[in-house]
Order: sequence, then structure tokens, then C-alpha cells
Amino acid sequence: MDFFRQHILSIIAFWPLLGMFVLFFINKENKSTIRWWANFVGIVGFLISLPLWFWFDREAADQMQFVENVPWIQTLGANYHVGIDGISLLLVLLTTLMGPLAILSSWTAIESRLKEYYAFMLMLQAGMLGVFISLDFFLFYVFWEVMLVPMYFLIGVWGGPRKLYAAIKFFLYTLVGSVLLLLGILALYFIYPGIAAQHPEITAAFGAGNTFDILAFQAMGAFLPANFQWWVFLAFFIGFAIKVPMFPFHTWLPDAHVEAPTAGSVILAAVLLKMGTYGFLRFSLPILPDGTKQFVPLMITLSIIAIIYGALVAMMQPDMKKLVAYSSVSHMGFVTLGMFALNPNGLNGSVIQQINHGISTGALFLIVGIIYERRHTREISQLGGLSNVMPIYAIVFLIMTMSSIGLPLLNGFIGEFTIMMGALQENLWWAVAAGSGIILGAAYMLWLYQRTMFGRIENPANEKLLDLNLRELATLVPLIIMAFWIGLYPAPFFKALDKPVNKIVAKVRPDYFQGAPRLNARAGEQR
Amino acid sequence: MGQFFQMQDLAVITPELELLAFGIALLLGDLVVEQKRKLGLVALVGIAVSGAFLVRLRNVEFSAYGGLFVLDHFSIFFKLIFLIAAALSIAISLKYLDIERENHGEYYALILFATLGMMFMAGAVDLVTLYISLETMAISTYILVGFLRSNQRSNEASMKYFLLGAFSSGILLYGMSLLYGLSGSTKFADIAEALSQRSPNDPISLLAMITLSAGMFFKIAAVPFHQWTPDAYEGAPTSITAYMSVAVKAASFAMMLRVFMVAIYPLRPHWVAILAAVSVITMTVGNIAAITQSNVKRLLAYSSISHAGYILIGFIAGNDTGLTAVPLYLLIYTFTNLGAWAVIVALRRRDVIGEHIDEMSGLFFRHPAAAILMLIFLLSLAGIPPTAGFIAKYYLFAAAIQTGHNVLAVIAVLNAAISIYFYLRIVVAMFMRDATEKTGLTYSPGILTALGVAFVFTMLIGIYPDPFIAMARQAALLAF
Amino acid sequence: MNFLDLIWLIPLFPAAGFVINGLFGKRMSKTAVGVIGCGVVLISFIFSAGAVYQLLQLEAEHRSHTVTLYRWIAAGLAHTRGGGLADFAVDWSFLLDPLSSVMILVVTGVGFLIHVYSTGYMHDEDGFYRFFAYLNLFMFSMLTLVLGSNYLMMFVGWEGVGLCSYLLIGYYFLKKSAGDAAKKAFVVNRIGDWGFSIGIMLIFVSFGTLDFTRVGEAVREGVMAGRYHVSDPLFIGIALALFVGAAGKSAQIPLYVWLPDAMEGPTPVSALIHAATMVTAGVYMVARSNFIYQMAPQAMTVVAVIGAVTAFFAASIALVQNDIKRVLAYSTVSQLGYMFLALGVGAFTAGIFHLMTHAFFKALLFLGSGSVIHAMHHEQDMRKMGALKNKIPVTFWTMFVGTLAIAGTPGLAGFFSKDEILWKAFSSNQGHIVLWLIGAAVAGMTAFYMFRLLFMTFFGQSRVDHHTEHHIHESPRSMTVPLIILAIGSAFAGYVGMPAWLGTNAFEHFLEPVFEPLPIQQAPPPEYSHAAEIGMAAVSVAIALIGFGLAYSKYCKRSWEEQREVRQYGPLYKVFLNKYYIDELYDALFVNRAKGGGMRLWTFDAKVVDGLVNGSALTTVRTASGSGWWDRWIVDGLVRFIGGFIKTVSWPVRLIQTGYVQNYALVMILGVLILIGYVLWGTP
Repeated sequence: MDFFRQHILSIIAFWPLLGMFVLFFINKENKSTIRWWANFVGIVGFLISLPLWFWFDREAADQMQFVENVPWIQTLGANYHVGIDGISLLLVLLTTLMGPLAILSSWTAIESRLKEYYAFMLMLQAGMLGVFISLDFFLFYVFWEVMLVPMYFLIGVWGGPRKLYAAIKFFLYTLVGSVLLLLGILALYFIYPGIAAQHPEITAAFGAGNTFDILAFQAMGAFLPANFQWWVFLAFFIGFAIKVPMFPFHTWLPDAHVEAPTAGSVILAAVLLKMGTYGFLRFSLPILPDGTKQFVPLMITLSIIAIIYGALVAMMQPDMKKLVAYSSVSHMGFVTLGMFALNPNGLNGSVIQQINHGISTGALFLIVGIIYERRHTREISQLGGLSNVMPIYAIVFLIMTMSSIGLPLLNGFIGEFTIMMGALQENLWWAVAAGSGIILGAAYMLWLYQRTMFGRIENPANEKLLDLNLRELATLVPLIIMAFWIGLYPAPFFKALDKPVNKIVAKVRPDYFQGAPRLNARAGEQR
Repeated sequence: MGQFFQMQDLAVITPELELLAFGIALLLGDLVVEQKRKLGLVALVGIAVSGAFLVRLRNVEFSAYGGLFVLDHFSIFFKLIFLIAAALSIAISLKYLDIERENHGEYYALILFATLGMMFMAGAVDLVTLYISLETMAISTYILVGFLRSNQRSNEASMKYFLLGAFSSGILLYGMSLLYGLSGSTKFADIAEALSQRSPNDPISLLAMITLSAGMFFKIAAVPFHQWTPDAYEGAPTSITAYMSVAVKAASFAMMLRVFMVAIYPLRPHWVAILAAVSVITMTVGNIAAITQSNVKRLLAYSSISHAGYILIGFIAGNDTGLTAVPLYLLIYTFTNLGAWAVIVALRRRDVIGEHIDEMSGLFFRHPAAAILMLIFLLSLAGIPPTAGFIAKYYLFAAAIQTGHNVLAVIAVLNAAISIYFYLRIVVAMFMRDATEKTGLTYSPGILTALGVAFVFTMLIGIYPDPFIAMARQAALLAF
Repeated sequence: MNFLDLIWLIPLFPAAGFVINGLFGKRMSKTAVGVIGCGVVLISFIFSAGAVYQLLQLEAEHRSHTVTLYRWIAAGLAHTRGGGLADFAVDWSFLLDPLSSVMILVVTGVGFLIHVYSTGYMHDEDGFYRFFAYLNLFMFSMLTLVLGSNYLMMFVGWEGVGLCSYLLIGYYFLKKSAGDAAKKAFVVNRIGDWGFSIGIMLIFVSFGTLDFTRVGEAVREGVMAGRYHVSDPLFIGIALALFVGAAGKSAQIPLYVWLPDAMEGPTPVSALIHAATMVTAGVYMVARSNFIYQMAPQAMTVVAVIGAVTAFFAASIALVQNDIKRVLAYSTVSQLGYMFLALGVGAFTAGIFHLMTHAFFKALLFLGSGSVIHAMHHEQDMRKMGALKNKIPVTFWTMFVGTLAIAGTPGLAGFFSKDEILWKAFSSNQGHIVLWLIGAAVAGMTAFYMFRLLFMTFFGQSRVDHHTEHHIHESPRSMTVPLIILAIGSAFAGYVGMPAWLGTNAFEHFLEPVFEPLPIQQAPPPEYSHAAEIGMAAVSVAIALIGFGLAYSKYCKRSWEEQREVRQYGPLYKVFLNKYYIDELYDALFVNRAKGGGMRLWTFDAKVVDGLVNGSALTTVRTASGSGWWDRWIVDGLVRFIGGFIKTVSWPVRLIQTGYVQNYALVMILGVLILIGYVLWGTP
């Protein structure tokens, strides 16, 4: 138990890999065993990650916890250094939650080449977890790139008609971003010793030699020359913006989503995109405060464009999945908007919204996948009146639609409102513009819902559709629960975020908290 | 005279001598032995023994023959690369030559002689030694390229390679003579001394430098001296292509390091400019040309051109990181590339040439293991972690950033990103196309071991590169 | 039993009902579903009544009770306008004060009656349980809206009722029109919510809290400390932003368009949501924010004017509608306009008072119309009715009372509230004679179209087709009893707020603590004698009488004829009938534009944004094949030329048969030359 507690992060991250290796020894004809094993690995992966939620000390949420730090490549100063703070805690748990659901959703959807499929799913899972727990930039980069390969195969082998195009587009596009990111990392890596030499406190904490320690970089962030920061931020920006994706780097997303198998889309939307925003939060902001401030106008503009643009384009999509894909462009616009409002509300909302987007959009992709499995089409015009034959499906779809358009008591509202609150504190018009995105969001989602669910069944092909079966329900119910939990009682999530977020704000805007005492202390007392 | 030749001098070259002995033995053996494959095994033994001798000398630092030839970590490191390359190439040749119906004893002998030449190149600190060893290597490879006597492509390739090689040697020699004229000595150290006396922009020394570098560029197949590469690589027996793509390249880079970092170091500002240009052109042309190739051998040929472009970054940086990067890159490249070539060699069967990309389609369904290994080698060539290729590229990019060559770095990484495209074409063929009746492999113990070794080191260096980095560092830093 | 501390349960009972009916309703008998559906609301009503009773026991200044359940949102420190830091923390808490007391009583009381009514009205519908689940969900949201102790809680209920209205309008989801109406309602409301949420955020960044009482205190203290001044742009901004929300929810110009379409929903829904409760949320919200509006007289003028114009505009449309429910729908819009007029002139009490009375008689009228429709087998067109008086007497008499009430017959609920509004519109500081005139005119129109409705439906000779003729039957008791109770309410609810000249206005007195004026010096309201007030009242009554008279002469003495109506209004007729073509206008201006824009952006996305990506990829590939072509033709071509030239002059080269090699060699030479040039001239 004690061992488990000390190495919990490594165990969580490498358990899927272990499962993958075991998978290699299962005969590929033996399909049910493969399925059962993969699901078992996924669910166990989730269960072993649960202790984090309870063991994580929220009072020290801004400190890295469950840290493991062993030398890896001494000649480079790269270590196997993992740990999580409040932000990565949530993202890790999101990953371990979405992974099993995605695996479970593939039970009948994937019939060919099961073994490789599940192998890649598990590899992907490991890679994503690695990204969120790494505290060493070299390690981070390794995980960051490792994930490209399984995702490439998931799209390229099990994808739709234009899968090869989508897959290579995804791979090339993200790779271009990542290599530039690497250059940025190197720049930091080589400037560190010089900075450390001038600042004994940094040397004392992280040594004088070359290091990839993210915490060391964060510590030196304040002392980096502004011009240098600008360039590194640019490199990071391209790397992360492509992953998010921010306008105008988003065009790989609809293709990837439409072609990818359901589970692929789910993981892509729910977790992969978050790696970009996580990158901004963990690296760009704390390490490059000046660069961040210089880029704020650009970032905000792009975010607002993404919000409105994504919504408008989504509205006219004839393909359900593409609609959801563009909607997530819009939602990620909110995430980046909140992030670059650079105040606690904005950042808190931004992280919460990342989780929400994972839940809602993940669920929506599952929902689309379910109907696709039955009808083998995603054309909205082919559907309609489904609530007659699939009432439960209709209800689940409705809940997720509402969560996606930010209805209070569901998760989406919490994120969007806090983000807009953060944005408005900086500039009224940011919030006003973002708000219009919420209107459009309601428009396209409800229109989609009306066209697919309401009305009489015109298309005879839809008359015999079966409602959700237990397995499909099992993939969706956890997400519904999460949606309501975050909507009704987000406090524990905010609690985990508050300190780390304040830490980031304090780094980027050191003067932020030099304000008057709280105005409504009374609300504080009722805590 | 006494001081000119001593017993230690012989001791220093025992690995080479031993290799030479085996080579001659093989030639003689060829007359009596029917089972040619046995000769191959003998050659392997020879390489092993030579390796053993080399390891025995690992801590020796010695300048022999009055400073014509040195034994240092640098040369030892490269000699190891040559021996590994030779061994793996022979391993993948054994069956292959049978299929080509060209299994002859001299083949193995020639590989040994080529290796011998390389080993002297790695240790040469004197123009004459350098040139002789270079030619020893070159001539053996000319013959090996044309080894498929019945194959017109092979002969033509050999012819081209020979003529152009001779031509480039001529240019090289021209440069060497100029240097001799300038310095009155053939020793690198003296040349450097002499050059540093002259004005930095002295046209003669520049001319010498240029002709010298032109010759070198030919050997490492840098643009615009690359055009022989696709033809030669395509025409040559695949096993030899593999051998050339790693060993010959490594040897040329070893030579280039010595010459550039010692002999003409005083001209560094100038040759850095040239190398920067050449490096950018080389990696770009190599990558872009590779995109449309449908013949795997040509494709890998162009990819090896672009890799030469990357390696030059190490020279341009010229600092610790850069100099470490070059040997490290070559070591990694040896394993990765030989692995990839081994798979292609295995594709060759009685009836199938196994060079066209379509002939790999669906390979995964027939031979999953081979396909996965190929995937790993390709990812390593593209520099995707956690394969060794990433460490290699990382070092070069790091060197570029560290020395402030940011633009060069950006171009390099973008090239690296582009390169994934054509590597993935092979992956697509292997994993995402259905198998055709042509799809298939001929395994042999040799190829299997080669694949195994290549795989192990590709992953090992990728995941735990420390010791190898240390070796490369030691090799580079003590030499320069 | 201390009901005051249990107010948080009041919304939860319907929520429980929603869960039970939603999850298990399908398997339960309709009776069980109905009992649960109504029972939970009844319990809420009892708890509300108890709580209000206990509140009344306290002294006026202590009549404000907050119950906090837990800390809902805590999203960190925010910069506020004062330059200070405030914790953006929102509690899940409820506030019972006179204002919310009135609201919960109306909501639970009227709501309960409508639930009971629905058991009868919806009895033959399949998805009975779904209907009641939705209704209960609505009750939950509505009670959260009115009980919430801060703006965000209110927003929760606000959006919740929006969702329920969406679900209930779309209840007959097989009808395309229903789906469209539902979507329209939600999206238009979203526009309002947008403004509302902006307003909420502005409030927070200005005062560092969203809690009603604390915002109120903050404003009050600010005024005393001289930090805030009347018509400070901040307050105007907040007030207008909030009003956008109110206009959306309460169907005021320009966002009223969704309400008439909302009649696609079942009639009880129209009664509950689109007449009695939800649509009054905007009024409640503005009244709740009175301390903001008091600081922004300009904004109040906007509210008053929009209210008045809406009242008139909607009434004019109602004049010629033939769908019984549409008449009532536009009447609702018009009455809501009255309420905003009241709020706009600072008569918050009057607004809330009218809200309450209107809840009674409009619910009554809708339910009555529902009873008619029920009797007519879902026929809503008044042109196909007539002479139903004796066939469905209870319905008739109750609706008659309702009509009298809304028409402002002295002594009935409508009279008191409407009269007070009109009086304040004239007499208060923000008041103006024009506002009074409009209001009075609307009173006349109201009387006219309501009696038109009554006469067309119940009098004249029957235009019912013979098939339905003999199926006409009075509705079951479950429907008539609520009608009767509401009729009583419509008759007597007004006496809680008798105008000063009839005695003490208990209602106003009760609400005083909520609407306590801010300590801002302003001109004392002009003094008028009771006589003046009575006179005004008399005038408005007279106008109403005229309206009644016209209706009587046109629709009772003679039976309805289309041509006559057309003749009366001339060109205006079509305009009224087609609701001023506003829907068409909006479609052209916004909906189609948005869709078109989406289309264009999509092409832009595919062609330009993605085009750049693919383009660059394509270029690379092209260059790749191009480079081969270049090698073969240009380089080789050039070189072959030179090569051929050399061949002619030099024999040894002829020994080599393959031209290529020379080419390569020459390329190498060229390379060398380039390098030489590069070094000699290229580098300094």
C-alpha cells in the first residue's frame, strides 16, 4: 500500500502499457477475451486513479504532490520527474475516466483488427496520462509525441472513407507544432544556467547545471528577457494552438473527428485537445509571463473569433459529427478566452470548462457514434423523429445538449459563466462578444436536436431503431452524473484549482493581489 | 628511422591487421570452399575478433608512425561503428546473395577490405594516410556496388559510382595538394598551423578548402554532389546499399570531422557559411525528393541524403554538443538504418524484387513482427520519441539552438516534420493496405539477428541513451 | 414547525415529483402520476403559506429571511470596480421577503390549480407522465427563480423555466410548428439571458457580491457615502442589461415574438407558464433590482416607454386575432406591458400588484379557453364557435368573471391594479400624461378584444360544424373546480391592494421594505387630491366601457363576419392580422443572415483556411515531382548540351556511353564553382 501511494502516478500512467503488452499475448482470434481484457484494463486504470481524488491535499493544491523524481538522462539533466497539482489532478482523472468509456464504447463498433485497436487505445491512454503528470520538459515532450502514433493509427486504420488524408493531416499538423515547441524548450534549457547563475535562490532550489525541470523554468520565468520570452512564446503558441486547436489552426480537427472512429473522436475531443490548453497553463503562462502579456490581444482575438466562427460554421453542418467538431472549436475558444483573461475567475473557469468540454463533447460524440452504429450515416437530413423510437436516447441527448449550451445546474454553465466573468473584469466587450457565442450555441444545438429528435419519422430506415442498450447506457451515465455534479456542486473542483490558479496569476500579474480586502467577507464566513 | 617505426605502432593497428588477414584468408578460401555462406560466417568471426582487439585497445591514446595515424577514442568509436555495420551487413547478405545467385567469397573479403580502409580513415591524421585509406574503402565499394554481374542496373550503378567517385577523388586530391603546397606538410596539425598564419581570406587556402569540401560532400552525398546516390543505392545489391548508407557515410563523416575540425579549422568562418548553405539545401532537397519516390530503395536513398544534411548541423555548431551529436547520430543511424534495410532485404525473394512500395502493402498481415519493427525504424528515422532517432535529432537541434543558429534549427525541425510524410507512406502500405500475393518475406537467421540487434539498440538508445551519449562525448571531445 | 428555515424545501418538493414521474411515471397509473404531480405542488403551497404566515408575524423591518444551504461557486478573487478584490463566491441560498412571499404564493397557488386542471385536460394524452414531470420541473425552476437570494440563483431558475417552456411548448413534438416554436422561444430567451448575464457580471464587478440584500446595502451605503450618484452610467448600463433579460423573458418589444408562438403548447402550459408565472419573471427581476433602477431614471424611462408601447402594440394585434389562444397570448403581452409601465414610472408595488391579479384572471381565461377547446375537440378558431353559453355554463360564467376582471370592471381585481398603474403613470415623478393616455387607450382596447372573444365564443348563433356540435360537453370537475376558484380569486384578489381613497393599501404597505426608496434627493412627487385620482379612474373606466360597447354592438348584437372586420380596419386589418410582419422581418434580418453567414464562413473555412494548409502540402508535393522534372530536363538538358559540346571536342569522353555520368560530373563542377563564388563574393 505504501509503495502504491509513493508510486501511484507511475502506476496509473504505465498500467495501460502493461495491459497492452499482455494484450500481445492474446490470440487475435480470441475476440471476446481481447475485449474483456481491454475493458478490464481501462476500468482498473480508472479505479487505481481514484485514490488521487481523496489523497490529494487541497490545502497545498499549488504544490506538486505524489512526486517521483529519479535521474534519467544525466548527461542532459533530464529526469523522470512526475507529480500533479490541482490542475493536472483534474485532467488526469478526466483521462482515466474517459479512457475506459471510450474503450467500452468500441465493444461492437470495432469488429476488425481488435487486438491492434485496443493496443493503440491503451498506448494512447498511457501517453496522455504521461503528458499530464510530467514535471520534466524532456519527459513531457516524449509523451507528447508518443501519442501521435497511436492516434494516427486509430484514425488511419479504423477511420472513415477519407481516413488516410485525415490521419496524415493530423500527424503532420501536430508534428509541425511539436517540433517548434521543442525548439522553444531547448531555448529555455540553454538559457537556464545563465539565469540561475545570477539568482542564487534558483541555484539553491534547482541546481546550477542544465535542467529540464519545469518548476525550475517556472522559477526563472520572472527573470527572462522580454524579447526572449516573446520568441519562445511564439514557438509554444504554435505548438499548443495547433493542439487546442485555436483559430486558424483548427482545420485538422473536423477532418480528424469526422474520419476517426467514435472512441477516437471521444478521446480526441475529451482529452487530446486539453493537452494544448494544459500546455498554455503549465508552461506558457508561468514560464513566460511577459511573453504572455504581449500576446494577450492576439490570443483574445483568436479566442473570440473561434467562439463565434466555430458556432456559425457548426450551425450549417449537414453532418452531425462535423457539427459537434466545430462546436468544440467554439467551446475551446471559451477555454482560451478565460485563460488569457489572466485572472483567477478566468483561469478557474478555463480549467473547469476543459473538464466540461471533455464530458459534454465526449458524450455528444458517443451519442453520435451510437446513432451511426445503427444507421451508418451521420447526415442530419437522414435522421429525424428519433425520440419516437429511442426515448431514452432522446433524454440523454437532451441532457448533453443542455450541458453543452451551458444550462445552469449542468456543468457547462459553471465554466462559461466563470470564464465570462473573468473576461468581463478585463474588458466588458470580451464578455459581450463571447456571450453571443452562447446564443449561437443554443441555436445550433437545439436546431440539431429538433431536426434529429423531434417530428414524425419520415425516413422508414429509422422506424425500427433500437433504444440504448445497457452497455451504451453505461458509457453515458457516468458522464451525466459528472455533468450534474459539476453543475450542482463544483466547489470541490474549484477548491482543487483555486491555489494553483492563484499561483499562475501571481506569476503573470504579480500586482494582481495587491488589492483592497475582500468586499463580501460574509460569504466567506458561511463556508 | 628508429623513432619512425616502433613495435607499438604495429600493436596499435592489430584490429586492422587482423581484418586484413581474414580478408586474404577469405580470398584464398573462396578457391576451396563450396558453401560460400560458410565464408560469410568466417568473415563475421573476423569482425568479431577485430572488435575484440579494438576493445582491448579502448583506453589507449597513441600517435603512431610519426603522427601519420592515431589511435584515440574518436577513432575507436567510429571503428566500432564500421565493424557493427559490416557485421550486420554480412548477416543480412548471407541469404540474400543466394537469392541473387551471386554468393561469392570475394564479396565478404571486399566488405572486410572496405571496412579496413574505413578503420584507417578514422585514424588518419595525415593527408596521405587519409587518401590511401579512402581509396581502399572506395574501390572496394565500387566493386561491391556492381557485384550483381548479371544485373545491368547494378553494373551501370557501379560504373557511375566509380567514375564520379574517381572524379571526386580527383577534386579532393587537388585540394590536398594545394594544402600541401601551402603548408609543406601533410600532417593535419601542421596544415592548421600554416593556415592560421595566412590571412583568413587568402584565396589559395579558400580554394583548397572548397575543393576539399567538394570531395567530402561527394562522399557524404550532400547536395549538389548527391546525384549518384539514388542510382548507386538503387542499383547496388540491397545489402551493399545498407552497408554504404551507414558505413561509408560514417567513415566519410569521420574523415570530414578530422579535416574540418583540425586541418582547416582556421578557415572555420568560411566553411561554416558553406556548410550551413549545403546543410539546408541537402536536407530540404533530400526530403522533398523523397516524397514522390515509389521505389523504397530510392526513397531511403533520398532520406539518407537529408540525414547527411542534418548531421552537418553538428559541424556548423562546432561546440561540445555539436561534436558529440555527429558520432552519436551516426551510431544511432547505423542501427536504425540497417534495421530498415534489413527488412527490405528480406522482401527480396526468388521472384520478387521487393523494392516497390506496393510490394510492402499489407506486410503487417503476413509478418506483423517485421512490420512493427519497420514501423519503429521508420519512426526512429523520422526522430519520433521514444526511439533512438529522437535522441540523435535532439542533439543536433540542441547544438543549433545553443550556438544561436535559430533559423537553421527551424528549417531543420520543419524538415524533420515533413520527413514523417514519406516515412508514413511506407507505414500506410504496410498497415493500411491489404496484402497482395506479392507480399511476403524471406527470413534467415542472419536477417533475424540483424533485425533483433537493430531493434534492441534503437529502443535502448531511445529510452536510456546515457552510456552511448557518454561514449560519443568522450570520442568527440578528446579528439578536438 | 419553523417553516421559515424550511423554505429551501419549497422548490425541492416539485423536484422530487419531477424525478419520480420522470423515472417511474411510465410504469405508473395516470391517477398515481396525477396525484404525485399535484401533491408535491400542494405541499409546496402549504409550506409557502406557512412560511409567509410566519414572516408576517415579524416586524416589517425584519421581514427578510435567508437560508443558505452551501457554497455553490467559489471561483477565486476578482477585481471590482472599486479597485478592491472580491471573492466570486455564490451560495446556494434562498431569501424570503415580502416580494418573494407574494411570488411563491402566486406560483404555488395558481400552479397547484393548474396542475389539478391538467389532470383532467391532459387525461387522454399519451405521455401524461412526461407532461407532469415537465410541469413539476417547471415549478422547481420557477420557485428557485423567485426564492433565490442572489442573482445567480435567480439566473438558475431563469434558465430552468426557459428549458421547461422549451420542453412544454415542444410537448407535441410530432408537430413541426411545435418544435419550431419551442426552439424560437429558447433562442429568443437566450438573447435576453445574454443581456441578463452581462448585467449580473456588471453587478458583481461593481459591488463584489450578487446577493440581493448586500447589493442593496452596497448601493445604499454608496449613495450615502456619495460614491454613487443618480444616473451614473454604471447603473444605467446595469439597468439596461438587466432589462434586456426582462424583455426576453416577459415578451416585451423587441423580444416578444416567441410568446404568441408558444401557444403551440398545451393550454394548461399557456396558462401556467405563458400567462401566470414565467412570463412575469422579468417583472419580478426588475422589481427585485429596484435599487439599481432608482439610480438610473433614464433606464426607467426606457422601461416605461417600452412597456407602454408593447401594451398598445400587442393589444392592437389582439383586436383581430381569431385563434382564441392567440387573442389571450397578445393580451398577456399587453398586460405585461402594463406591468413594465408601472415599474418604469417607479410604481414597483403597482407592477407586482398587477402581476398578482393578472396571474389570477389570465390563468382563469386561459384555462377557460382550454375548457372551450376541450369541449370543441381541440378547435381553437373562434370563427368556428359561438353560442356556447348554455352548452358549457360553468366555463362561460367563470370566463365572464375573468373578462370583467381584465377589462377593469370596478370592484374586480383587474380594476384596482390597473387603476393604480394608470394613476402612477400620470402622477409619479417619472410619470407623464402621454403614458397615461396610452395606458387608458389600451384599457379600452383590452375591454374591446376581450368582450369580442367572449361574444364570438359564447354568444351569437353557432358556427360549430354539426359533427362536433352534439359532442360539446362541459368539462370534468377536475377542470371546472379550478376555474371556479380562480374566478373567485379574480373577483376578490384586488381587495388586498385597495387604492388610498378606498382605505389603506395593505399590499403596498406589505411590500414597502423591499421597495424602500434610496436616500437620493429628488423633487417631491406632485400632490394630487383624491378627487383627481378618482376622476382619472372614472375616465379609464369610461374608456373601458366604450370598448365594451363597441364589442357588444359589433359581435353580440350582430354575429361575426369577416368582411365587416376587414372594412372596419381597412388596410390596418392585414397589418394587425399578420402581427405587423415582425416575424418575417426578423427572419430576413437575423435568422437568414446568420444562416447565410454560417454558410459563407463554412466555405471560407474549407476553401481558405484549410485551403492554405492543403495548398502548402500540395506545393511541397508538386515541388517534389517538379524537382525530379527539373533534374531531368533543365539540369540534364543544360548539362547534356555542354556534354554534347565536350563530346564533339574531346574523344576520351566518348568512351563512356552513358551520358548521365558526365552530367552528374558537370553538376558537381557547377557546384564547386558555385561554392567558390559563394566564398569569394558571397561572404565578406
